[in-house]
Amino acid sequence: MTATRREFIRTVGAAIASSQIPPQSAPIDASSAATAALAKPTVAAPLSDGRRKVIYDQDNYGPFGTDILGTLMMLQADNIDLLGITLVTGDDWMKQEMAFTLRLLEMMHRTDVPVYPGAEFPMLNTKEEWRLRQQLYGGHRLDPWMGAFHRTSGGPDDVKPLPAPYGRFANIKPQTDHAARFIIKTVRENPGQVTIYAGGPLTNLALAIALAPDIVPLVPEVVFMGTGFHVFTNAFNVFFDPEAARKVLRAPWPKFTIVTVDLSEEIHEGDELTAGRKMIEEIAARAQSPIADLFQKYAVEPLRQDPNQRLFRMADEMIAAQIIDPSVFTKSAQMYVDICSTPGPRYGDSMFWPQNWQDLPDAGKAPVSPEDRRVFVDSGQFYLGPPPAAGLVNVLLEVNHDRFKKLFVDLMTKPVHQA
Amino acid sequence: MQTQSNLLAHSSMFSAVQQTSSGSSGKKKLIYDQDHRGPLSTDTVATLMLLQAGNIDLLGICTVTCDMWAKQETAYALRLLEIMGRPEVPVHMGAQEPLLNTKAEAQMRYQMFGSRTLGNEGYLGCFAKDGGSRDEVTPLPPPYGRFAQIKAQPEPAADFIIRTIRAHPNEVTVYCGGPMTNLALAAMLAPDIVPITREVIFMGGSMHRSTSSVNVYFDAEAAKIGFRAGWPKLTLVTADLAEEVHMQDDGKVDYIVNHAHAPIADLFRNFEQKPQRANPQRRSFRMPDEMMAAHVIDPTVFSGFDEMYIDIVTHNDGHYGDTSFWDGNWNDIGKGTDLAGQNNPSIKAGRVQLLKGIDKNRFRELFIDLMTRPINVSKI
Repeated sequence: MTATRREFIRTVGAAIASSQIPPQSAPIDASSAATAALAKPTVAAPLSDGRRKVIYDQDNYGPFGTDILGTLMMLQADNIDLLGITLVTGDDWMKQEMAFTLRLLEMMHRTDVPVYPGAEFPMLNTKEEWRLRQQLYGGHRLDPWMGAFHRTSGGPDDVKPLPAPYGRFANIKPQTDHAARFIIKTVRENPGQVTIYAGGPLTNLALAIALAPDIVPLVPEVVFMGTGFHVFTNAFNVFFDPEAARKVLRAPWPKFTIVTVDLSEEIHEGDELTAGRKMIEEIAARAQSPIADLFQKYAVEPLRQDPNQRLFRMADEMIAAQIIDPSVFTKSAQMYVDICSTPGPRYGDSMFWPQNWQDLPDAGKAPVSPEDRRVFVDSGQFYLGPPPAAGLVNVLLEVNHDRFKKLFVDLMTKPVHQA
Repeated sequence: MQTQSNLLAHSSMFSAVQQTSSGSSGKKKLIYDQDHRGPLSTDTVATLMLLQAGNIDLLGICTVTCDMWAKQETAYALRLLEIMGRPEVPVHMGAQEPLLNTKAEAQMRYQMFGSRTLGNEGYLGCFAKDGGSRDEVTPLPPPYGRFAQIKAQPEPAADFIIRTIRAHPNEVTVYCGGPMTNLALAAMLAPDIVPITREVIFMGGSMHRSTSSVNVYFDAEAAKIGFRAGWPKLTLVTADLAEEVHMQDDGKVDYIVNHAHAPIADLFRNFEQKPQRANPQRRSFRMPDEMMAAHVIDPTVFSGFDEMYIDIVTHNDGHYGDTSFWDGNWNDIGKGTDLAGQNNPSIKAGRVQLLKGIDKNRFRELFIDLMTRPINVSKI
């Protein structure tokens, strides 16, 4: 039976409104559990079957794009145990993302993966204030994307029909639990084992750690796409909800890995796999349905019509790569990061400091002479370090292009996974 | 006696069993969300008022970090319920930290921009230099004497607020006597509760004394979310109103010490009368939370309210947590002149009712009556 648009909206709306609070087995202050987990190594331990448990938190913008491609990679990877998908308003409104996600799981024969509705709005940011800020301070020339806040995006309950190959709304339903509660429950039940993929604004994660700060030391790794150094410093997933980003980035996670705009800008969807052969052509030719259909309709054909475009940078695909095969990345650095949440022209900007700022007054670009060190650091005249609450994160700095492209194309072209 | 270490190590403040509130008929259903500072403070005295009032169905007490850290407040709240003979009231510990504000930043903002001016509006609660730390719970002085046998519920305050409002649509009043952290989390997790909440009453904000008050500038982001949420009715006791009555005024303290039953008499003797006698220059605190309780118990103590718009500054600077007010009827101001329509509130400002016109005699009578009547021990 095909679900109509109205039925879909009613189902999702009812699921969200009736969201029940499950009985909690753990006390709110699970300090003993937290301490026990801290004593263990905090590297993500693969399961005995070699698979990594992952919660996939995403602003899943359909029908195709970096969000959907990140989803496809996680669904196709054999070494990933996908515990659940949690959705958040960002690139699109949460309910529209829900429609695409549920149907994508059906088409991929992965209806075993539960999908949880998350935050429908950022913590404080609003569409109206965003537009006024842009007029007052100037717009974002390099990344004009406004996601769900775009002029033409409609409202949070405005769910549009899904185009081919989705074709219709899914028959499967979302879970009734809120994304933040699912994250809390799952992390507590699997201490030290659940990696969190954070591909959208960090609203759900901020809510989860505000409700249950004890989960922070129990998460072996969070991998997030957002922030930037050079291309631009205010990336969508941060400036859509800067307060959430600030809260989450400041929390003492055992490992918080960041894919910056700068890194993801290195590889675009339209790039060549080998000389003369683009990745998307390879996938459209060799992949099974529905992956081949998606690439043909939303990548190959648009590029044929406008051969000058490079398609989008591979942002969320790099999060997936870091979780599926971290050896794709050949250089990273521990750095301090903080987010500006003052609602002015720099709302959502990211700022970085080197971890060893006391040794490197010029941020590590060149060795420090004893005289420089005396002037800049020892004299106390110059403070080069982070603000008091800044978070320490693991910033990915270098990607092996060939290996990344191969991993991506291999995942897209292998047989579609069966539950 | 329990020691501090085993209280924390075994999380013995938290029970695994969910208690249910006792049934009631015709009583006002209330969630009491409070930064419950012990041993005696405006927070605690308001708790006493609500426990003593016969017309309140106290569905639960939520705690939130501000005046003290939430764990210490929870220890005080639990033991207070025991010594008041009301162990059936469930206690839910809430946010242990503001959404974003931190102690280090609060201190640095004060160094850079100065503290808030006027009176004690420089107060930082547990973010003061000697404010202790999040997990530190110090022993409770007499008449508390020891930590409680009863436990806090395992459910966080925000989840309790959501569940309770959904279970009683349009019936629940939320008393918010501390920062809005728990309420903001509840409204973000479950926006559907906002239109079915009967009333939110909040203490904070100021138009005249200062530009803010601690319940706002301790967690400005939560206040901004809470004020903008769109509750059917959001009532505000400002610092300006609260300043009109202080605890020591009109001999209230001596009267209560002489006429109240234990443990209320002991609390007022130890923590109001003794410090007052030791230091006659002491100006006791204003009565903000007692006024909120009075509004819940008998709203006719106040002659009315001003309709206003409100919004909060969240810039991380000297204005963090400042309160902005606009007239509720701004569109009528200067009507027919070229000044019309220029006094608009911010685009997302919330609408609030500022209580005004306190009848000081009736407030005093209500307060003294509640404090001196027999202790309202539970019948279970």
